[in-house]
Amino acid sequence: MEPTMAPFGAGPGVRPGVRSGVISGVRPGGRPRPRAVLRLCAALGLLAAVAVAGAAPAWAAGETIGGCVLETVADAKKEHGSLDAVKALPADELSALETDLEGCLESPNPILPALDEIIWGGLAFVILFAFMWWKGFPAVKRAMDARSEKIRADLDAADTAKADAMRTKSEYEAQLADAKTAASAIIDEARAQADQLRQDLQARAEADIAEQRARAAADIESSRRQAVDDLRTEVAAIAVGAAERVVGASLDADVHRSLIDGYIDEVAGAGSNGNGG
Amino acid sequence: MADLAASDRISGYADALLAVARAEGSQAEVEDELARFADALRSSDELQSTLADPAIDVERRLRITEDLLGGRALPATAALVSLVVGAGRGGELVDIVDATIDRAAAGRNRRVARVRSAVEITADQRARLAEAIKASSGLDVEIQAIVDPSVVGGVVTEIGDDVIDGSVRSRLQQMRAGLS
Repeated sequence: MEPTMAPFGAGPGVRPGVRSGVISGVRPGGRPRPRAVLRLCAALGLLAAVAVAGAAPAWAAGETIGGCVLETVADAKKEHGSLDAVKALPADELSALETDLEGCLESPNPILPALDEIIWGGLAFVILFAFMWWKGFPAVKRAMDARSEKIRADLDAADTAKADAMRTKSEYEAQLADAKTAASAIIDEARAQADQLRQDLQARAEADIAEQRARAAADIESSRRQAVDDLRTEVAAIAVGAAERVVGASLDADVHRSLIDGYIDEVAGAGSNGNGG
Repeated sequence: MADLAASDRISGYADALLAVARAEGSQAEVEDELARFADALRSSDELQSTLADPAIDVERRLRITEDLLGGRALPATAALVSLVVGAGRGGELVDIVDATIDRAAAGRNRRVARVRSAVEITADQRARLAEAIKASSGLDVEIQAIVDPSVVGGVVTEIGDDVIDGSVRSRLQQMRAGLS
């Protein structure tokens, strides 16, 4: 587990309330985030600029060599009444005036400012630092805490969403498996029904074929019998017609008389047989 | 019901014709002429349908009967036939005549034997047939001879519902039944 690094010298260690493995301003891999480093550098640069501005050298405050010379000469003229009086000064006083003028020619220290400037600059730095410590740092800390909390909430939400997604995926996979099982069952059932239907249709077709075959055979037999009967009837009609024509042509008056006499004899014979019997 | 009404009607006309024949005193001749006219009707479907056709005017049908019987039969016979035809019963004339003859024979305690043959039988054959029927059945019959070419040959005798068929037609029918 990586140690949690609190911003602005809060000290190493795990902060209470911060989830393990989550570092404010630090990537999960342990390396500081670039934005946090930039912010830290910007804060230090701001403090240095304020300090440098507060401890500016004398020449940076607007005092020039010419001005210094004029001010020294003016002071000497004011003290002695005129330039001629100044020129008439004794050698030692002129030497002192020359020293003052040479002092004007000396350039200020570019590194170390004047003492009063250091004092005022340091005081301003302390005041500004105290103000920042009192107001700025807590605000930044609250912002960072809020951001950390937001990131943590986002991570929690992401974890929750991931868990939900995994659960949904599991459910989908289970449903997919169920669907596959159901589809397989439906396909098997459909195949079984199709086989049964095919068998039924085949059996029905075979039965129909057998029935039609039997019916056709019966029809053929009936037609054959009908044809035979018709033929027999036709032959009989032809034969009887021919017989009628032959008989009609052969029945002359004598035959008619003979037939009638024979009929009368039969009737009379039936009577005598009946009486005798 | 219709057959019963027709039978009653035929019986009524037969009684009337027989009564008129008796009243005219020529019953035997009238019976004979009526039988011959009925025989002529049996042999001619056209004549039978003409006399029975209600679409033909009654006057025309009466004129046909007068043309057939006028001068060839007794006036009583022609009048009786005209009576039946004029009453619109020409289609039942044969049955009425048969019923008249049956009733006349019954009045003489005899039955009528209707003998159908392809040619007309002689008087001798009639007498012998009547004797043969009496000998076979014990009935005294009067022969009503009917010429029917469909008999082909031989004789068919009908006495009421009894039939003695000795015709060539029946032999041919039996042969047809045996062949088919």
